[in-house]
Amino acid sequence: MSDSPIVNEFNQGPISCHAFNGDRTELAICFNTNVVSIFRKSGASWTQTSTLVEHDKPVTSIDWAPKSNRIVTCSQDRNAYVWTLDGASHQWKPTLVLLRINRAATFVRWSPEEDKFAVASGSRCISVCYFEEDNDWWVGKHIKKPIRSTVLSIDWHPNNVLLAAGCADMKARVFSAFIKGIDKKPAPSPWGEKLPFNTLCGEFSNGAGGWIHGVAFSPSGESLVFTGHDSTITVVSPGTGDIQSIRAPYLPYLSVIWLNENQIVAAGHDCAPHLFELKGQQWAFSASLDAAVKKADVGFTARDTFRRMDSRAQSTTSTDTEVHTHHQNTINSIRSFSGTPEHVEQFSTSAIDGKLIIWNADSISRGLGNLHL
Amino acid sequence: MAFRKIDIDALEEDAFGEDEIDFQEIGELRPVADVDAQVNSRAQEVSGNTSGALSTSLQNPPYGAPFHAAKARNTQTVMEVLNSIKVSDVPQLVKSLSPEEQDVLMKYLYAGMATPEQNNSGHLLAWHEKLTEVAGQGCIVRVITDRRTV
Repeated sequence: MSDSPIVNEFNQGPISCHAFNGDRTELAICFNTNVVSIFRKSGASWTQTSTLVEHDKPVTSIDWAPKSNRIVTCSQDRNAYVWTLDGASHQWKPTLVLLRINRAATFVRWSPEEDKFAVASGSRCISVCYFEEDNDWWVGKHIKKPIRSTVLSIDWHPNNVLLAAGCADMKARVFSAFIKGIDKKPAPSPWGEKLPFNTLCGEFSNGAGGWIHGVAFSPSGESLVFTGHDSTITVVSPGTGDIQSIRAPYLPYLSVIWLNENQIVAAGHDCAPHLFELKGQQWAFSASLDAAVKKADVGFTARDTFRRMDSRAQSTTSTDTEVHTHHQNTINSIRSFSGTPEHVEQFSTSAIDGKLIIWNADSISRGLGNLHL
Repeated sequence: MAFRKIDIDALEEDAFGEDEIDFQEIGELRPVADVDAQVNSRAQEVSGNTSGALSTSLQNPPYGAPFHAAKARNTQTVMEVLNSIKVSDVPQLVKSLSPEEQDVLMKYLYAGMATPEQNNSGHLLAWHEKLTEVAGQGCIVRVITDRRTV
């Protein structure tokens, strides 16, 4: 396997969100419109096979359940749809979900067991949705208190009950999303023992204010990481009571994932994924995973120059503002691509420049591991 | 807020207002007299004392709306310290500060540049350049996001 990242360029506009299916042969992607496009892998490229058209405002988030092969999408139109593949016609069929929110939906994720999903929204609540057999529809239960502003991101704990939320009121919180009749009583964890719905299990701030953009539970669920608009990343471990905030010297990170218990990758306005590592007891910035490629010597034609200006929404030519990374604009989503949650081998990033890149985390971390020895 | 003509929060009963954000980020305010006294004693402490003066002047800055006078006085103290340091010593000094102190220093650099009639902006820009080399763009972003202004 090649060590260099695999760049997929779609040239259909900025990518607002993306999700792969279970075996990574299909891809759902939204180019900042109200339509979600489904692509199928054919050789090295991706061929569009269908579109999901039901939302009437831009789609903000997509998640694809790997085992049950269902897609959930949410949008600024305040709706979410669960899409199931009809076996006979091979068409994706939407089912409307009653979110009961009066502002845009911002983020959606299936729970690990795929029997629930959570939708974050601008109406200061999280809608935890589950299927009600009796009425044959998806219903949502709201987590409201003490959220004071838009919820920007969420992540599920591996136990299928706890939910982390990053919020525009400068707080990251951990809630219980326990649904009677669906969930079994969870085993006690550092986050709490009795966990009825809407229990607040933790509330954390970062260093210097700023919205919380991304949250992620560690593979074991023992720790939580979140990134803020103040360019910090904060790792919280309630078991040990440890809270560490790293003030990064770079632009803010929008999205974050764990590669394993000791490595975190965050990406955002700096256009490159950055690796953070646990060294001893201390978390620290380790390296940019995008080896700064100097592409300026290739000899650009005028057409290339204008195309590059367009991809960065830039109005004047200046060599000073050259971006020497594979992504040419803000990365807004980073997701695991292959491996297990305990050991992510590859991850994917999508960005405003319209590119989707698959990075080889394994070779990077191994290479760095050797360096540290 | 010029682009938005309608204040949609006015229609919201339980809006997340400026006061609440400030309270969340800054917490309970100390009495004005205490803060004034602290700021004045610090000004005495750092005058004519160059080693460690910068770090001392950046400790525990007055945050919160009621402390106009104390903020101005403390900004003046920091500016005096900055002016007393030779440009050639700046990179070494900036590196010796903790990340928290670097962020506070950046706040004061912007506060100083906001009143160009009182401060030498050229000198402050030289500090800004050296500080950005060490603390990066993240330091500037933190000045913008932090509600605890100086």
